Amino acid sequence: MTGPLRLYAIQSAAAVRTSMADRANFLWQAGGMFVNDVFMLALWALFFAGFRSVGGWRLPDMALLYGLIMAIVGAAGVFLGGYRDLAASLLKGELDALLTQPRGLIFRLLTRESIASGWGDLVGGLIVLAAFADLGWRDLPLLAIGVAVGLAVYVSASVTFAAMAFWAAGARSFARDLTDFTILFSSNPPSIYHGAAKLVAFTLLPAGFVVVTPVGLIRHPSVAAFALSLGAAGLYTGLAAAAFHLGLRRYRRGQSPTLGGT
Amino acid sequence: MSSAVSVQQLTKRYSFSRAAKGFGGALAPEKVTIEAVCDISFEISAGERVAIIGPNGAGKSTTLKMLCGILEPSAGGARVLGLVPWRERKALAYRIGVVFGQRSQLWGELPARESFALLRRVYDQDAAVFVRRLGELSERFGLAELMDQPVHRLSLGQRMRCEITASLLHGPALLFLDEPTIGLDVTAKAAIRDFIREHARDHGETVLLTSHDTRDIELVCDRVIVVDEGRIVVDQPTDQLRRTFLARKLIILRSQAPRLAIDMPGVVARPSEPHTTVLEVDTRTARIDQVIAEALALGGIDDITIEDPPMEEVVREIYAVARRR
Repeated sequence: MTGPLRLYAIQSAAAVRTSMADRANFLWQAGGMFVNDVFMLALWALFFAGFRSVGGWRLPDMALLYGLIMAIVGAAGVFLGGYRDLAASLLKGELDALLTQPRGLIFRLLTRESIASGWGDLVGGLIVLAAFADLGWRDLPLLAIGVAVGLAVYVSASVTFAAMAFWAAGARSFARDLTDFTILFSSNPPSIYHGAAKLVAFTLLPAGFVVVTPVGLIRHPSVAAFALSLGAAGLYTGLAAAAFHLGLRRYRRGQSPTLGGT
Repeated sequence: MSSAVSVQQLTKRYSFSRAAKGFGGALAPEKVTIEAVCDISFEISAGERVAIIGPNGAGKSTTLKMLCGILEPSAGGARVLGLVPWRERKALAYRIGVVFGQRSQLWGELPARESFALLRRVYDQDAAVFVRRLGELSERFGLAELMDQPVHRLSLGQRMRCEITASLLHGPALLFLDEPTIGLDVTAKAAIRDFIREHARDHGETVLLTSHDTRDIELVCDRVIVVDEGRIVVDQPTDQLRRTFLARKLIILRSQAPRLAIDMPGVVARPSEPHTTVLEVDTRTARIDQVIAEALALGGIDDITIEDPPMEEVVREIYAVARRR
């Protein structure tokens, strides 16, 4: 592993240890999220018991979608947990200390925190994928690519939303709301979205690219699906990097509302 | 002696929008520009220990942030260890150590030792060099028993010792300290000051610190730069500043009598509440122990406190003298 990657891995591991320091709190949060996810999936199972199919989607497809979103949100929370309240970190001036050090900013902000409840999502997601999504061993490489693509798009979108804090002090709650909407939009079969809702789901909130595109890649692999997935991951990662660095330029020029004392 | 910091006509302006008066003002905010740092110039030689002091909003932190490379100036220039901080931020970062008194670079839930190990990765430090330096700093700072406790369980003073250690592990040539003793008790402040002064002296580090506490300046620094409203008001050796401006102490006496009358040369009573007498003592004229002895002789003393005048007061006086010149 190269220098920067090793640094981020070590920082992420330290963050995970921090999140587990209070064992009871960790178990409550991780367990609570697991139960919450199982409950939501059970509702969908009851729904499909009555309707069998929604726009061509059956329970295993829904389990694949739901398992993917759980695994993606879980992995983001556990290993890149700083994404969740990144706008608040920027507003509190936490960049200053990192700017006096020679190694990366975005990944250090992301990996310095780990969210305990993410374990509930991650473990729950993997169980759902293994048990209910109708996947075989041959699907594993595509599943791994799907999770990586979804993770890249989801975290990149969150970083882009959080970068608004460089322009507006009130961006904290707005950024979190947009991130939550992305999860919400991602948690439904795509066939229920039409017109403007579909446009939003594939642009402003990249919910479609977080799970729908990976589901398409896993169920119907093709060069086009592969290219679309990688293209979306690349595009949203690039957008996040651009938004963050544009904002950082404002911050360093003193034009940002996040600056502290004089 | 070579120059560690060279600042020429450095200026920093902040612009922000503010709602103008009246209902219409909320819809059409006005743009306001403030000059946090205004046309300042100074040189710091290698190995010098310099304090930048001034009241809140004077421009201390902004100056420090520009010299660390965090902020870009609006005008003017600076070189720190030969580098332009805001253009060569990463290269400079390997050669400076920074402590923000009110922000931690340590993980609260983990032992400081783990944060130190992570910083080794941040600075690409050789493992053997890291172990040697940590051993030296640990011994010097008495960290052996602290390093394995979660940082959030440490006292503020212990935490600050760990913060300073963290900033020194990669062997910086220049140390920036922003309010390093803020919130600490008297003993912890003394330990921090001793350490900074002795470590810098032994290793030839240049130190630039900001503080509200006049004792930080007197006990750590060779030279003081006083800023007010973004401008340098005074730039002189600490000895000279001490003789001129830091010679006053406040003795606060709580007594059973409503007021204590002490008539000594160099002692002036300040307005105060009943049963509290505040004496301003010019230590060039009157000795503290003699003033206290005089007060004790009057009897009925419940409590005695000796304080430095607030920094704002010292700076106001410096500013007033500078304007008269």
